Amino acid sequence: MADLLGIGKTGLAVSKKALETTSHNIANANTDGFSRQRVVQTSNLPILKSGHLMGTGARIKTVERIEEKNLENRLVSSINGQSTSKERLLQLEQVESILNESENEGLNQIFAKFFNAFRDLANQPENETIRSVVRDNASLAVGDIRRIRGSLDNLATNIDKKLESSIVDVNQIMNNIASLNKKIASLEALGDMTGDFRDQRDMAIRNLSEYVKVHTYLDNKNHFNVDAVGIGTLVSGANVAELQVRPLNKDESPNQMAGAAAIVYKDKSSLDISAKFKSGKLGALIKTRDQDIFQLQKEIDQVAFNFATAVNTIHRQGYANKELKLDPETGSFSAKNGEKATGINFFQPVNQVDDAANLIRLSDEVNDDLSNIVSALIPNSPGDNRISLAISKIAQAKIMNDGTTTLEEAYLKSIGRVGVQTGKTRIDLDQEEALLAQTKSLKERITGVSIDEEAANLVRYQHAYEASAKVLKTAEEMFQTVLSIKR
Amino acid sequence: MTRVSENSQTAAFQYSLGKAKRKLEDLQLKGASLKNITKPSDNPVGNVEALSINTRKTENDQFIRNIDFAQMHLSIADKSVEELIEIISKAKEIAIAQSSDFYDEGIRKNVSNEIIQLKNLALSIANKRIGNKFIFAGFKSLTQPFDASGNYNGDKGEIKIEVAKDFFIPINLNGKEVFYSQDEIGDSKLIENPLEEAQEIAGDRSPANVSNENTAPVFHKRENLFSLLNGLVAGLENNDPKLIQSLLEKFDDATTRLITLRTKVGSIMNTVEVTKAKIDSENLDNVTRRSKLVDADVTELFTDLTRQQAILDTTYKSSKALLNQTLIDFLR
Repeated sequence: MADLLGIGKTGLAVSKKALETTSHNIANANTDGFSRQRVVQTSNLPILKSGHLMGTGARIKTVERIEEKNLENRLVSSINGQSTSKERLLQLEQVESILNESENEGLNQIFAKFFNAFRDLANQPENETIRSVVRDNASLAVGDIRRIRGSLDNLATNIDKKLESSIVDVNQIMNNIASLNKKIASLEALGDMTGDFRDQRDMAIRNLSEYVKVHTYLDNKNHFNVDAVGIGTLVSGANVAELQVRPLNKDESPNQMAGAAAIVYKDKSSLDISAKFKSGKLGALIKTRDQDIFQLQKEIDQVAFNFATAVNTIHRQGYANKELKLDPETGSFSAKNGEKATGINFFQPVNQVDDAANLIRLSDEVNDDLSNIVSALIPNSPGDNRISLAISKIAQAKIMNDGTTTLEEAYLKSIGRVGVQTGKTRIDLDQEEALLAQTKSLKERITGVSIDEEAANLVRYQHAYEASAKVLKTAEEMFQTVLSIKR
Repeated sequence: MTRVSENSQTAAFQYSLGKAKRKLEDLQLKGASLKNITKPSDNPVGNVEALSINTRKTENDQFIRNIDFAQMHLSIADKSVEELIEIISKAKEIAIAQSSDFYDEGIRKNVSNEIIQLKNLALSIANKRIGNKFIFAGFKSLTQPFDASGNYNGDKGEIKIEVAKDFFIPINLNGKEVFYSQDEIGDSKLIENPLEEAQEIAGDRSPANVSNENTAPVFHKRENLFSLLNGLVAGLENNDPKLIQSLLEKFDDATTRLITLRTKVGSIMNTVEVTKAKIDSENLDNVTRRSKLVDADVTELFTDLTRQQAILDTTYKSSKALLNQTLIDFLR
């Protein structure tokens, strides 16, 4: 009968533990990254008594955490892929909106208007009012070139800032993983259950993989390691290799902008590892900054440079629209007050392609005096429109890419490329989101909590508990029976 | 048996709901703007084509403005030449009448006044302006081209404007070709390839060349219209029928020359008219093409919209059963 009490007690304990685990599962049904737990119970060692093998009740063998290592790895890599495309799309959409002409007027229309203004001037080269229209349109063109380049520069700078804050997050996550590693190792050494800590560590790995592609493994010292694929170890056991961001100067930066952020290891800050980030948020940011935005920056510089140079080359050939006097000694013409008669620049000359879009502006001559907008090829001929005609023909001249494309074609090509890239990224993201949802769902099917299942378990274990209690009661009654004999 | 957990349910639900809503949002945007392309990535190739059509449209609008401008100038030039022809034929009639010995000195004196009036009329035509611009002065459009005695102060500049892509037409006749002689060809060198030729032009136009061109003595030939009329006046005033007779042939030459000029102007006007029609039809083609690329197909759009709404509706309904009930509800 003492056995009966003992057995009943084990049943009660096991059922109680099982109920606890069930309620833990229910409580965490909506906890992110929680894996359901299960009580594994087993029968106690039987004893041999008077030649019979007698059972001695049940005990908890372990509280098991349902794991699915392969799916977890797939999930981590899906998260990485999805967050790569997501971040890239976010950035590219901003680039795209800078160049979007579908709704409002963009550079292409402004260029067309600029050349039209010169056609108007060719119609009426005597007309001062049209010269002011020409100047206004030229200012618009200059303004829009500068707007595009400025917005691109801004985007690049914002990416630098985002890299910096992302690295702070990454360091935090890595430290979190390292401290979890430490806890898990010390608890497991004592034989304690660490399911919930493992869940947290898995969550941290997932968060980390949003930024960078990671690979995790246990090394031969049983340390949990996190590697950034293609870069190096980030976390090894309780040790963290922290990252940091270092601003580069203009010559060493990959996008020729001063202050561009480079990612380095904190203890090896001279080695720029930015280019090794191929995926995740960090990879997407770096790729957009150093490839997409940088290429556009270069192209708009080239547009600005070739445009200004072409207009200037022709504009310098003509004579100002004012009375010019021939100097018989030199055989050249001059205006009153010693102002230039010819060789007048329309745009302030830009010496190098680099940064041309930021530097382009109207020349002081044109800004100060409308009659310095040249139309005549020969002096003192207010009706001569040949320079204006020649400038308006730049619209069709192949002045870009070594004389193979026109200004318009070159610019539209850039817009087209950005459109294609953005569209492609959007499709990639759609696919990756589907893949992620599918993997998540697969994983949750196995490791997630099902309220129905837990409700059933609740009933089941409660019944077992009640029955075990009944056993105790029966034992007690039996004691009573035995004791009452003596009376 | 596949297990279903709370989170796998909601993940699947969220994914399908998100997808349905995103599509609906996209369609809503298209419906609101009635545009198929709202950003380059919607249709990169189509977008670039639409932008390039925009440029063509802007250019064509300018060409139409240029054509209107050219037509105005050409028709005024045409009208002027027509008036000149009338003046010359009137003068010629008088010359024929006065080339015989029939009239006496007194009558010839009176008739000479009429010729002087005709000459003044011709002079006023020669100095005709559009706005502040002298139309027969070549490039020197702000200088009065002819003085009272008929000397030409303009140049031989031929003003061209672009009326269609790479198609340039002259819109003026210079004073020399109209009033002086037939062999005067306008200075019409255009800059064909602006950037390459810029250097060439610079070479051509060394200061010496330029100054020669400009300071050359004013062209003065006997064949010009004013000296022809002056000659007639002189013949009449001096009562010299022989001289008058000798002028008759020159009057014929002048008339022929003016008619040739008028024909030239007329043919240019025809070309311009044809060009205008071409541009109009090109504009129409462009608008059609652009609309195909950019504008949303309303029927298709609303069909899609209705279908997508139905999908969202079904998603909600199907999720309702799954999300609202658990076993707990039945364990009472």
